[in-house]
Parts: sequence; C-alpha cells; structure tokens
Amino acid sequence: MKKRLLRNRYLKAIGGILTGITFVSLYLPIIMILILSINDSSRGYAWEGLTFKWYLRLFTDDIMREPIVNTVSIAILSTIISTILGTIFAIGIHSLEKKHRIRMMIMNNVPVVNPDIVTGISLMIIFSILSFTLGFGTVLIAHIFFSLPYVVLNVIPKLKRLDPNLYEAALDLGCSRFGGVWRVVLPNISTGILTGALIAFTMSIDDFVITYFTSGNEYMNVSTWLYAALAREGRSSLTPVAYAYNTIIFLMTIVIIVFVNLKKERKERTA
Amino acid sequence: MKRLRLFSYPYLFWNALLILVPTLILIVLAFSDLSVYDPAPFSFTLVHFAIFAQSYLTKALSNSLVLSIVTTVICFVIGYPVAYFLARLSEKTRKVWLALLIVPLWANMLLRIFAWEKVFTPGSIFTDIFGLELNLLGTHLGVVIGMVGMYLPFMIFPLFSVLEKMDPSLVEAAKDLGAGDAAVFFKVTFPLSLGGVVSGVIMTMLPAMTSFVLPARIGLGKINLIGNIIESKFMKEVMGSSSLSINVGSLISLMLMIFSVISFVIITRFDKEGETLI
Repeated sequence: MKKRLLRNRYLKAIGGILTGITFVSLYLPIIMILILSINDSSRGYAWEGLTFKWYLRLFTDDIMREPIVNTVSIAILSTIISTILGTIFAIGIHSLEKKHRIRMMIMNNVPVVNPDIVTGISLMIIFSILSFTLGFGTVLIAHIFFSLPYVVLNVIPKLKRLDPNLYEAALDLGCSRFGGVWRVVLPNISTGILTGALIAFTMSIDDFVITYFTSGNEYMNVSTWLYAALAREGRSSLTPVAYAYNTIIFLMTIVIIVFVNLKKERKERTA
Repeated sequence: MKRLRLFSYPYLFWNALLILVPTLILIVLAFSDLSVYDPAPFSFTLVHFAIFAQSYLTKALSNSLVLSIVTTVICFVIGYPVAYFLARLSEKTRKVWLALLIVPLWANMLLRIFAWEKVFTPGSIFTDIFGLELNLLGTHLGVVIGMVGMYLPFMIFPLFSVLEKMDPSLVEAAKDLGAGDAAVFFKVTFPLSLGGVVSGVIMTMLPAMTSFVLPARIGLGKINLIGNIIESKFMKEVMGSSSLSINVGSLISLMLMIFSVISFVIITRFDKEGETLI
C-alpha cells in the first residue's frame, strides 16, 4: 500500500512537470510578443521601459495599414462565405446514404490533413493553369477552401443528433423544402455553425502558408507582409507595431470566443 | 431528409476542381516539361528525378524525417500524460485547462516563430529580462524545441478527445477483474485511445515535416527541410534561370503527398468521418 502511494506521488510529480513544460513551451512566445509590444525600443534588444506608443502608431502610421485591411477583409468575407456554404454542404452530405457520406467526408478531410504547403502549391498550380491573376480573388478562394471543411466537420455532429422526423414533420405540416431547413434544421444546428465560423475566422486571420503561395507579389496579408519584411531587412528589424497588432488581435479573439462560449453555454442550459 | 441531397453536389464539384485536378496536374508536371504559365504542348520526361542525386535534397529529406520524428516522439511523451491528466479533471476545470491550451494558437504563427528566435538569441531581450542565455540559433535542438512549442497542442487535442469520451466503467471492470494499474493502462486505456494516438501523431508529424519558416528562421538557413526546398522551387527559383523549377518542385511535393496519402488512409481506418480531426 505504501509502495503504491509513493508511486502515485511520483506519477503525479511527473504529470505536473510535463504539464509545466507544456505551458512554458506554449506561453513563452506569447509572453515575448507581449513584452516586445510594450517595450520602448524599436530594435528590441533590451528592456527600455514601458510604452504604449506602438499601439498608438498602429492607428496613426500607414506602415501596416494595407496588410491589416487585407487580412481583416479576407477573414470576414471568407468566414461568412465558408460558413454559409459549409452549412449547406453539411446538410447535403448528412442526407446522403452512408457509403456516399463517408466518401464525401473523406474528400472533405483532405485539406484538413494535407500539410498547408501541399494545399498552397496545389491551389497555386490550378490558379496558374486557369490564368487567374494571383491576388485578392485567389486568396479569398483559398481561404474559403481551407475553412469549409472545418465548418462541415462542426455541423455534421449536430445534424446527427437531430431527429430526421422533425424535418419530415415540418414538410407534412406545409413547410417548403427550404422553409423546413430554415425553421427546423438550422435552429438545431446553430451552435455547430457558430463553432465552425469561429474556427474559420481564427484560421483565416493567422494564415501564412496558403496565402503565401496564392497571393502573388502584390497582395499581402499581415503574415506574408511580416515574412517579406524580414527577408528584406534581416533580423531584429521588425517593427514593434507588428507585435502590438498581434496582441490586439489576440486579445480580441479571446474576448469574442469567451463571450460566444458563455452565450452558448447559457443557451444549452436553458434548452 | 433525402431530398436535401442535392445540397452536397456542388461540394463534389468544388473539391474535384480544387483537390483532384491540381493533384493530377502536379503528377503531370512532375513527369513532364509542361509549364504552368504557358500550357503549350509538352512531352513526358524523367529528367526531374536528377534532383534526387543532389546532396542538398537528400540532406533536406533526412532532416525532415529525423526532426519530425524526434518532435513527434517528444510531443507524444509530453502530450499523452498531459491529455490523460486533463481528461480526468472535473468538467469545469477541464474546460478552463483546455481553453488555456487553445489560446496560444491564436497568436500569429510567424510572430511566435520570431519570438522563439529572440529566445534563442544570446544577448537579446530574453536574456535581459529572464537572465537566461540560450544560444540555440542554427542548431537542431533549437529547431526541435521550436517545433514542440508549435505542434504540441495538435498532439494533445485528439488524445484528450478520445480519453475524455472513454467509459470509466471499463477501467473499473478491469480493476474488479484483478488487473493492476499498469495492466489496466496497457490493456484497456491505451488500446482504446489508439485512434487519438494515430490522429495526434499524424497531426504533429506532417506539419513538422513540411514546415519551412521555422527551420529557416531558427535554423538560420543552415538546417533545410523539405518545405524549404519546395518553397525555393516554387517561389524563388522561378524568377531565376531554371524555368523548370516548378516541375522539380512538383516532383518533391508529390513525394510529400505520398506521406499525406498514407497518413490519410491510416486516419480513415480508425475514424471514418474524421471526428477526431476537430
């Protein structure tokens, strides 16, 4: 018995250490970004005092305006489009018979499992063959492409829990095909749609690899702009404004997601 | 709901156009002198295979394999106990811990890499504040630590999701039947979590193997992975003299695709509809 207690204590200690390593490795970069965004030094070699000027300059300077506008507009548009399309496709896939459904889901999961670089060059190749000019349009298509599967993956489990007779009942009671979807199906899968939309948004706003391969030379989002700036000017030349931007986006994401989850929880509790 | 089937048909077309067609073109490019910018008549050739005789490519291949395997093993060794620990917490605390694991992923990937770069630079702001000097730029160790920091959550999430769903009465039954702690773990818990292990390994290993910004920055360009070669073939050398660099790049990408197809087949065997992927 004593031996067992001792062993349990060892196991607990190991578990604690590993959890510690996990959180240090995840949060160290975040802390560094935060520090660099409030450090009063443009080169960031040493701590030179607290300042919020980089946050101010984010709004007054022009340096990052264009990539920020591009990033945010692509994120909003691709989230809206992929959420709507993903929901429609998920409903369609769910209505298929099992064999076809599994095939469709395998297709759906290709972009999820495929490394970003493979997705990026595949899209770049098809856009080049079709002679699309790389830029806003191709980046938007690319972002919809990699967001859609996540919406589908989040909506399908909610559809599985929905009693199919409800939809049939709605039709029997005089709903049109689309009316039934609108009044019966959608309200029951709304939490899945919302989660899918949030994932789509967070993926789009931070994407680098796929944007890099599908954006051409002119069009830049924040990530590709950062990459180009570093390649051009070398190390330690990155403006702290970039860290300030990231900290704001980061905090905004946390607030949105916490808010949505609290609301969702309340809804699920009352339901 | 059968009449809603037609909703899925456009998706078939969309995926065919953006997954199937590019893959076919990629295969053609790898075995021909077709130019993506000027699809004139082309002829098939095996000349691009000459790249495999280049030492920079074989070096990048072995780097990719070794570093991604080491990263995955470390992530598994750290991630399994952490996922196990999280899955046994009460529902409320579990949610908080899980959120804490997800939150860092919302910071920009490039900036997180630059932050690691600062951590590994001696005499940087990291030294100034924490009084630690880690001189790991340009080393394999630095790249591996950076990768673990980037990809560890992708190991933990699928493991957590299978461990959380596991029926605790199975463990109790095994104990009632006389199994010790170790036997319970190796005969019941671990085999039942295998689906999560497979997803976790793949979701960690594939991104690690194909990353290119991280090795370029933390490895100072000295440690090239397969992703760096592909990037250079598609983005940099295109402007230069070798007009067929895209074809060579396609051949290398095709090799990566073999890895992803294998991974995919394995995942689909364990999890037909990809439920462990989210």
